[in-house]
Amino acid sequence: MITFEGVTKRFGDGTVAVDNLNLQVPTGAVTVFVGPSGCGKTTSLRMINRMIDPTEGRILLDGEDIRKIDPPALRRGIGYVIQAAGLFPHRKIVDNVATVPYLLGWDKKKARARAMELMERVGLDTKLAERYPFQLSGGQQQRVGVARALAADPPVLLMDEPFSAVDPVVRTSLQDELLRLQAELQKTIVFVTHDIDEAIKLGDTVAVMRVGGRLAQIDDPPTLLAEPADDFVEGFLGKDRGIRRLSFVPAGGLAVRSEQGIPGWSVVLDDDRRPLGWRAEGGRPSEGNGYDSPAKEGDPLEGPVLNGTRPERPPAGEARTRAAAAGLQPFGTVDLNKDSLRAALDAALLAPSGCAIAVDGEGRFTGIVTREALDAALARATGPADG
Amino acid sequence: MGDAEPLVRWDWIGRNWPDIQGLLVDHVIMAILPVLLGLLVALPLGLASARWRVLYQPTVSLMNVVYSLPSLAVFIVLIPLTGLANRATVIIPLTFYSLAVLIPAVVDGLGSVPAHVSQSAVAMGFGPMRRLIQVDLPIAVPVVLAGLRVATVSSISLVSVGALIGRGGLGYLFIDGWQRQFSTPILVGIVLVVVLAVLADGLLVLAQRLLTPWARARRTA
Repeated sequence: MITFEGVTKRFGDGTVAVDNLNLQVPTGAVTVFVGPSGCGKTTSLRMINRMIDPTEGRILLDGEDIRKIDPPALRRGIGYVIQAAGLFPHRKIVDNVATVPYLLGWDKKKARARAMELMERVGLDTKLAERYPFQLSGGQQQRVGVARALAADPPVLLMDEPFSAVDPVVRTSLQDELLRLQAELQKTIVFVTHDIDEAIKLGDTVAVMRVGGRLAQIDDPPTLLAEPADDFVEGFLGKDRGIRRLSFVPAGGLAVRSEQGIPGWSVVLDDDRRPLGWRAEGGRPSEGNGYDSPAKEGDPLEGPVLNGTRPERPPAGEARTRAAAAGLQPFGTVDLNKDSLRAALDAALLAPSGCAIAVDGEGRFTGIVTREALDAALARATGPADG
Repeated sequence: MGDAEPLVRWDWIGRNWPDIQGLLVDHVIMAILPVLLGLLVALPLGLASARWRVLYQPTVSLMNVVYSLPSLAVFIVLIPLTGLANRATVIIPLTFYSLAVLIPAVVDGLGSVPAHVSQSAVAMGFGPMRRLIQVDLPIAVPVVLAGLRVATVSSISLVSVGALIGRGGLGYLFIDGWQRQFSTPILVGIVLVVVLAVLADGLLVLAQRLLTPWARARRTA
C-alpha cells in the first residue's frame, strides 16, 4: 500500500504541481493517475521513488515514510517504465533487462538467466537478447522496458505513460499484455496516462486529477463512468459514458433462447455448430443473391459454396465472403461467460435480426439473445436499485 | 635545384633512412603525448563543466584564446622555461590545443546522453558515480572519439612547426630541404606526416567501431 498524506509539491518558480494530495494506492492492484497535462500526475508518480521530493506532506510505502529510505535502495525495489522506454543504447537487450539484478549484485549468469526468463514472460523472442535497443521496434522496446522494470521482482511498478508513443494497434496489444501479466503477478502498479480510455481499461482504481495538481475524483471505473463527481470529470470522461459503462457489466445475466431462430430469422450453423449467419425467412428477400432461400434445419451446409471440403476454421474474411455468397446476413456473437453487456449489445446491433448469437468458449452456438432480453438486462444495469 | 635534379632522390632516402626513422619516432611521441595528456585533463574538466554549466563557457572561452595564440609564439615564450630544442617545449602548447578540442567534445558527449536514458538510470537505482561510469561515459564515447580524431590529426600536423625552434620531428625535413633547395626531404616529410595522420585516424575509427557497435549500427539504421 502506498499512501499520500497531504502531499504538496511546489517548484522553485512558485508553480504548484501537486496540491494537498491524499490518496491510497492499494497493494496488488492497478491505480491509474489520469488528467490533462499540467495536472501533476507525473510529479505525483515520481515522488513515489523519490525522483522528486514533496515540499509538504509525506508518502508511506507499506507504512514506512519513504524519506527514511536511501533513494538508490528504494528505487531498486520499485520498477519503473517510461514513455520512451529509456533503454540504455549501449547495452544489449539482455543486459538492459538485467540492469537492476546487476545493481543488486547478482552474478552475471544468474542475472542473464533471469533476464531471458522475463523476455519470454513479456512476449519477446529471446533471439533479440543479443541485439541493441535501436534494432528493435517501438513496441518491442516498450516490452523490454517492462521486462527491465520487473527483473528484480519488485512489489511496486511505476509506469509513466508507457504506451503513448506507439501506434494504436501495438498499444492495445501492450495493454492486453499488461493486464495478462498483472493477473499473474499482482504487482502494486501506479500507471500515469492522459488517455481516459486507457485509464478505464487498465485501472482497478482511477484517480482523475485536474490542472493545479488537485485530485478531482478517485473511484473504480464503473463508478467513475456512472457518477462523475463534477463537470470537469464528466467532461474529461468524454462521450458515450453510458455505453462504455456497459463494458463493466457481465453479459452472464442475459436470458438466452435455445431455439435456432426467431420469427422471420434463423441462424445457420456449420458442422461444428459455429454460426455462419442469419437467414431471412417467410418471403423476406436476402441481399447476397437476390432470391429467397429458407434455411432447412439440420442441413446448414446447403448451398453451392458451403458444400464440399473446407478447413477446420476458415479465416474470418473467407467465411464472410462465403456466407455473403450463400445469401446469409451478418451476425455478432457474445460469450456469456466472458463478455460484457456492451459486447452483447454490439453483437445484436451487428445483425439485421436485432439479436445477438450466444456462443460458448469454442465459438459454438448456445442460443439467441433477443432485443427483449437485452432490454431487460440494460434496465437492470442502469436501474437505480441495482445493488 | 639543378637542371638534372630529379624530384626525388631515392638514394638519399636510403642513405638517410636511420635519421628519418629517428625523426618519425620523435614526431609520433610529440604528437600523441599532448593528445593523451589533453584527454586526461579534459575528462575531469569536461565532467565538471557538464555538471556545473556555469563553468562551461569560461573554460571554453579560455581554451579558444589559447588556441588562437600562434604556436610559434608560444614555443618561443616557453624556451626560457623548458629549453630550446626540448620535447616539452612542443608538447606543452600542443596539450593546450588538444584541450581546446577535447573539453567541448567531453561536454557535448555527456550532453548526447538522452534525458530519458539518464532519468531511467536514476529510477533504476544507479548512484551518481555508477551512473557516470556505466551509463553516461559509455554513451559519450562516440562524440569524445570524434573530438579525439580532430585533436590527433591537428597535433600531428602542428608538431612540424616545432622545427623552427629545433624540435619538430619530421618538420626538420622541411627546413633542411628548403635551406638546401633540395626537394627530396620536403617530399619525404610531407608523405610521412600525411601517412601518419591517416594511420592514426584509421586506428581511431577502428577503435570506435570496436568500442561502440551500438553507435555504428544506429547511424546505418
